[in-house]
Amino acid sequence: MSSLPGIPRIALTWLLVAQVLVIVPHLVHLPLWMIALWLGAAGWRVQIFRMRARYPNGWAKGGLVLLVLAGILLSRGTLVGLDAASVLLIATFTLKLLEMRTRRDALVLIFLGFFCVVTAYLFEDGILAALYSLLPVTALLTALVGLQHSGFAERPWPPLRLAGGLVLQAIPLMLLLFVFFPRMGPLWSLPMPSDKGVTGLSDSMEPADIAELSRSSALAFRASFEGEVPARGQLYWRALTLERFDGRRWSQSSYADVPVAPQWSKAGESLDYSIIMQPSGKRWLYVLDVGEMAQDSGRMMNDFRWQRLRPVDRPLLYQVRSWPEAAREASAEPPGLRQALQLPEQGDPRSHAWAAELKAKYPQSDALVAAVLQHFNREPYVYTLRPQPLGRDSIDEFLFDTRRGFCAHYAGAMTFVLRAAGIPARVVAGYQGGELNPNGNYIQVRQFDAHAWVEYWQPGRGWRSIDPTFQVAPERIEQGLEEALSAEDGFLDDQPFSPLRYRELAWLNQLRMSWENLNYGWQRWVLGYQGEQQLKLLQNWFGSLDWQRLAIALVGTGALVIGLLALWLLKPWQQRPDPQRQAFRKFERLLARHDVRREAGEGARSFALRAARQLPEQAEQIETFARCFEQQRYAGGPASRDALRQALSDLRRALPWRLSR
Amino acid sequence: MRTKLDACLDSVNQVLLGKEAQVRLALTCLLARGHLLIEDLPGMGKTTLSHALARVLGLSFQRIQFTSDLLPGDILGTSVFDKDSGQFVFHPGPIFAELVLADEINRATPKSQSALLEAMEEGQVTIEGATRPLPEPFFVIATQNPVSSGGTFALPESQLDRFLMRLSLGYPAQAAERALLLGDARRDLLPRMESILDHAELARLQAQVPKVRASDALIDYVLRLVEATRSQPQFAWGLSPRASLALLAAARAWALLAERDYVIPEDVQAVLPSVVGHRLRERADPTGHGGGSLVQWLLREVPAL
Amino acid sequence: MRAALKPLWRRWLARRIPPAASVRLNQRRIFILPSRVGAVFAVALLLMLLVGINYQNSLAYGLTFLLVSVFVVTILHTYRNLAGLVLKAGGGGAVFVGEQARFRVRLESPEREHQAVALGWPPSELVVRDVPRQGQTEVDLSQPAVRRGWLRPERLRVESRFPLGLLVAWSWVDLDQAVLVYPRPLEGELPLSAGLGEEEEEEGMRARGQGADDFQGLREYQPGDSKRRLDWKAYSRGQGLLVKDFAMLSGRDLWLDFDSLGGDSEMRLSLLCYWVLQFTERQQAFGLQLPGQVIAPDYGEGHRDVCLRALALFGARA
Repeated sequence: MSSLPGIPRIALTWLLVAQVLVIVPHLVHLPLWMIALWLGAAGWRVQIFRMRARYPNGWAKGGLVLLVLAGILLSRGTLVGLDAASVLLIATFTLKLLEMRTRRDALVLIFLGFFCVVTAYLFEDGILAALYSLLPVTALLTALVGLQHSGFAERPWPPLRLAGGLVLQAIPLMLLLFVFFPRMGPLWSLPMPSDKGVTGLSDSMEPADIAELSRSSALAFRASFEGEVPARGQLYWRALTLERFDGRRWSQSSYADVPVAPQWSKAGESLDYSIIMQPSGKRWLYVLDVGEMAQDSGRMMNDFRWQRLRPVDRPLLYQVRSWPEAAREASAEPPGLRQALQLPEQGDPRSHAWAAELKAKYPQSDALVAAVLQHFNREPYVYTLRPQPLGRDSIDEFLFDTRRGFCAHYAGAMTFVLRAAGIPARVVAGYQGGELNPNGNYIQVRQFDAHAWVEYWQPGRGWRSIDPTFQVAPERIEQGLEEALSAEDGFLDDQPFSPLRYRELAWLNQLRMSWENLNYGWQRWVLGYQGEQQLKLLQNWFGSLDWQRLAIALVGTGALVIGLLALWLLKPWQQRPDPQRQAFRKFERLLARHDVRREAGEGARSFALRAARQLPEQAEQIETFARCFEQQRYAGGPASRDALRQALSDLRRALPWRLSR
Repeated sequence: MRTKLDACLDSVNQVLLGKEAQVRLALTCLLARGHLLIEDLPGMGKTTLSHALARVLGLSFQRIQFTSDLLPGDILGTSVFDKDSGQFVFHPGPIFAELVLADEINRATPKSQSALLEAMEEGQVTIEGATRPLPEPFFVIATQNPVSSGGTFALPESQLDRFLMRLSLGYPAQAAERALLLGDARRDLLPRMESILDHAELARLQAQVPKVRASDALIDYVLRLVEATRSQPQFAWGLSPRASLALLAAARAWALLAERDYVIPEDVQAVLPSVVGHRLRERADPTGHGGGSLVQWLLREVPAL
Repeated sequence: MRAALKPLWRRWLARRIPPAASVRLNQRRIFILPSRVGAVFAVALLLMLLVGINYQNSLAYGLTFLLVSVFVVTILHTYRNLAGLVLKAGGGGAVFVGEQARFRVRLESPEREHQAVALGWPPSELVVRDVPRQGQTEVDLSQPAVRRGWLRPERLRVESRFPLGLLVAWSWVDLDQAVLVYPRPLEGELPLSAGLGEEEEEEGMRARGQGADDFQGLREYQPGDSKRRLDWKAYSRGQGLLVKDFAMLSGRDLWLDFDSLGGDSEMRLSLLCYWVLQFTERQQAFGLQLPGQVIAPDYGEGHRDVCLRALALFGARA
């Protein structure tokens, strides 16, 4: 390799093409000046190739490196972390172009390119991104092919064809490896991309936060049920509970973080489903009450929420079994119940007064709750995503003045009132409902499905969930946000091109559903094909999971794939001598046992004549075979293997049996 | 038809004793529309062979004795002023015969030689601006003495290539020579020979030659032979494509003479020495003539199948 | 260790790939291993696999596996790029010691195209050629001629890293080539020997070689003949271009005699070689006398070659 320093023109062309293709998916998160850097480097390199510019000297290179480092520091604020590292990688990938003199340098560049493609996967791993990445990979391989050319080749397409062929031919084997290669957990922890701009629930809630979420159609998670999909109205996906209220903002209490599963007892039917969760950057998982799942997926916390040890920063698949009718902490008073009665020291006097009034009127907590719900139902409350801003006593103003708001307002206000009336209560944040994809029998829950509801505790019956929003806007629960806002024109109005806005167009909706379905499959079978998923699949295929058997299956199938490919590539049958020639070889071997050997330059007829003279008793058979051979090979007679075989076996029978000499 | 060919061979063999192989090759050469070079000592029957062939094939025969003072006009003919008509009248030279024996061709000057060779190649002669076709069929049998004595002009390689075959008759076997001595004078027998083929029959036979089947396997053998001469180090140079065409044509004619309508490797081998012998030269012996040992090597080493 | 294994290795190779003027590369004759670039590639793949594992990223796994598979598939392609290639020995002319002996190798492709096939004798640089589909190409390889006699090169290395350079497929072939190396011409004094036997004496003066002394006759013009000797009169008569042939009266035959020279035998051979070339250039006839071998006086290129050959191989067959 070292003896071939120059970089062929084809290789350079394809390297530049590959660089563009590699960098494009990174543009989303790259600082803009990287484009200028690439353009400058590529232009310089082309000029070098055309002998119009020189390679940068040491000073220029050092200056460029410093410039890039300063740029990263300015635009990213740091030089460590995945984002800065990826920018640094791309910058190296770009600048290496200027330093590329020999084929070895070009190889370094190509290998760097493969790493850049891998880095792009960390930021975007959708189906389109994966398909797209075949382009830069093929281009890089093409450049690699171009490097190997002898320098006589000038046309750019043959290397591309070859590289494309290589990729296509590699795909069966790749699939095999993908399925069988054992997955293992991370060996060490690595920084994750931070600027994914994850939207979702947070561990504290102001009403405006949920209004913000309702503008996002980003996917939160998908759930596929094993049996019948429950009615929409029953799909309350719990994420976390908010117990502490400071007068404006509901937030998690420290008590909720105690990793001790509360007492609960199963009752009624159970639901089995699996969830593929989009990265949320948070540790909690989404479950229907009361969820149960394998120990390694997460832990149940004190407030019935499920939580992982590490934030969910990549799509996560988990299996849940839920018992919707389970009794929660019914038998004994929960140890942290005091937290569910906490209220700010002052403020909202009207609400306090109303609560006291209610308390006096309805000593039973059930009746009190029903009265509050009825209040929301009867009084002219309006469900809207655009409520008036609230002042200092936000609960009072909402309950008695504006009476306009959405789930967070209603849940917060109701919890306040219940607490003020001495009933332990808390706000539950999560998602409600979701869209059923009829093609795939699964439910997609988006950010605009974010919801907040209330649960209160009652001695002997435990925690019970109620949803005040249902009283105000039942269509929000039964049909979804879009219906609830149909009068208001507020649904996704800042996303004019979101296909979700055009659900009335049947074909478009169908298209969208199919696309969602494809993505779901991608999530589930490709991106989620890790540890457990792989074990499950392989167990399905092979019954028990025996690594020895798996290894044999992998090696066996791999060998088969390679063997077929080798047959197709090398076409050994084209090199095999024709049947006449084979038959004649047998004829020669037969006679050689009787010491009649053909010279290289001896034709069939003269050899047969000589053999017949030497073996006069078999002369007839020998001549028959020779005539038959000559007829087929030279006289244009029909090629018949059988005739030759027949003549040969006649001869064999006529000859005295002899093993060999 | 083919029995007539056999009759031709028999008839010639009666005149030229003990030279069956050479006679057969000579006839092969004529059937393949090739010209023949006979290299031998004087008195070996070169003239007799040519004359006999002309007789049995019913061809008009002319003999040109090449000497150092022979001029091209002596071969091709000249225009002579005719007093009666007051015009130049073309007097055709001896080349305007169907079978021309160019005796001792290497005695003539290169200019005269090339006049003959060009005529052979083109099948026509151009004299004083006028192009005149040679008769059809047209064969040349040229002879030359192997022992180069003073005042001879050896044919250069390029000219040798124009002869399909080179033969040498060699001394007769003892029995044949005895019969020669006892029998009539050979040349006296010639006028008594009768023509066996007429022009149409000969033309038909010649037309059959290219139709003799040469299978792929056979072509491969010819290619292997040619290839060996081009790649093996002992060959000073390889055979030209013209030579491989010649080889195949001669093999076809030989197969036709053997009453077969397809060629087998043995046919190629039969004609190989006479077709390629004069076109090859050993690298180690660049001045010497004849690739006799090279031909033997080809026959021995190149796989026939 | 290496030195001890070398003869074993050679014997094994000679059995596996016997010397022949024409070698077709097939699975018996082609060896294949990852190249250094391939090893670096493997390390890069390992790093990519680590990314896949640590980020639990299926696509990183996927790309790693794709490239692993490409690597595996490339084994077939690299093999295929050599398989079926036919190498044939071409002739090579004789050279003098100190010159570069040239070996012509013909690469033929009966079927597919073969790209970037490199051949030569390592550690010297390999020559890279493409062989078109069903076509051929010729390569001239050279090796310094160090000693007189037959120069038989080592086994020739044929290799190919096409298409990706990750693997190298190679073979060692012996095309049974040899080039005759003449001694290095050495200028020096020459004591001329006066001939072999007495029977030569009586012939006395002989006209041999081309000279300017005596008109011998006319002969055919050959390119290279002096224009001054053209017989223009004969040309105008239409006899073609003829040259007046003069012979040099050489007195007695010149004999180059090995035994009459001083110095060690290589030096004597070099001296003889020089004079063989000199006489041929002067178109003088001469004979050559070596111990155990006598070449009769003659002149011309053929004679020169015969003499040089005798000098080159002197002592070799004894």
